[in-house]
Amino acid sequence: MPDRVMLTIGTKKGVFVAEAPKTRRSFALRGPFGAGVPVYSTLVDSRGAPTVYASSCNPFFGMKVLKSTDMGKSFKETKSAPAFPKDDGRALVNIWSIEPGKAKKELWAGVEPASLFKSYDGGDSWEMVPGISNHEHARKWSPGNGGLCMHTIIRDGNRVHLGISTGGHYLSEDGGETFKASNTGVGAGFQPDPYPEFGQCVHKIARHDAAPGRLYMQNHGGWANWTGPGGPRPDIGVLRSDDYGHSWRSIARGLPSDFGFPIVVYPHDADTIYVMPLEPMTRTCPGGAPAVWRSENGGDSWLKLANGLPKKQSYFTILRDAMTIDDLKTPALYFGTTTGQLWIGREGGEKFECLFDALPPIHNVKVAVV
Amino acid sequence: MSADTVQAVLDDLERTRPTLYRNVCDETGAVRRHLNVFVNADNVRDLDGLGTALQPGDVITIVPAVSGG
Repeated sequence: MPDRVMLTIGTKKGVFVAEAPKTRRSFALRGPFGAGVPVYSTLVDSRGAPTVYASSCNPFFGMKVLKSTDMGKSFKETKSAPAFPKDDGRALVNIWSIEPGKAKKELWAGVEPASLFKSYDGGDSWEMVPGISNHEHARKWSPGNGGLCMHTIIRDGNRVHLGISTGGHYLSEDGGETFKASNTGVGAGFQPDPYPEFGQCVHKIARHDAAPGRLYMQNHGGWANWTGPGGPRPDIGVLRSDDYGHSWRSIARGLPSDFGFPIVVYPHDADTIYVMPLEPMTRTCPGGAPAVWRSENGGDSWLKLANGLPKKQSYFTILRDAMTIDDLKTPALYFGTTTGQLWIGREGGEKFECLFDALPPIHNVKVAVV
Repeated sequence: MSADTVQAVLDDLERTRPTLYRNVCDETGAVRRHLNVFVNADNVRDLDGLGTALQPGDVITIVPAVSGG
């Protein structure tokens, strides 16, 4: 019976693993593994014996996939990492997401430049998925500040949702063979057309198994005061879909900013979601006072959660994969900062506490009960 | 190793030591951005790049650049 809470923390200087009993009173930290090399994605694959994966994105020697079969006590490189075919002309820059596939050893990886790869043998070999990687739009996508990344992969039966920055939301309804841009209602503030067919800077997409037609999106907001061609674009940053991602509507009203990176769904209620609003220009906590905001009604209204967080002089950023929630009876929220702090929000974010204060800049936090 | 150019050395590396080669060159065949290739004491960037001709006894050194933070 699962009785340990395992956090994987991808940082600028390798991956750390933190482990605790289900009480989560204190976590033991180990690592860094893949020391000195940025890790942008991690996965605790709990299908069968827990296996931890981490993308080790080495700017000197290229991409590696690290794998641990001993609860994150040691990691080894898999036999290969995703790579474009030699005649493709593109070269891998980063691995932004690793998700479980359908079969037991199947993995899906979203990479930069935005493309999708699959492995059927636990990461030892990889093949490119042409339906999106060679999509007619693929050579027209352009990089955001983080690079041209495929950061979100959501599988829902034959539906596959992909988040690309900047490319937008792409939807497959045939198991990932073919994809269509599906961005009706998803705004973009950095081009004259406020609602283009594709090219939006989607930051993260989330869903809940109990409400498969429902999706939540943190999009690149902060365009309420835009005075250029096309006019202001208020509230385009936090969105919801109720038709499997075919169309989207704003749920940003009530937030102090519609800019942010992560969006997280509560494990026991599809109506409860979390965002971390940031100043759009600086991408830091508004007024230097970090707060998580929670909605318990699918985005109709929002509540500020800041108990235990600094009240001033805190100007960190929380990146797109750096907030998550466990699925215990009383879930805890976790987020990591670009200043290397790892926070736990006990009781669903009611009371925050800093678990680790001085890690390297945090890219990614995942949690599993194993 | 017998090779006429630096490129021929890399081609041989790709055939004989593919895992090592992938650490040196990306999928397009380009030397990775933060690596420098020297022929004796000279960076090939200051010679004829990967087309730099080799003479018997030349020593090729592949060194990571000093970068990061």
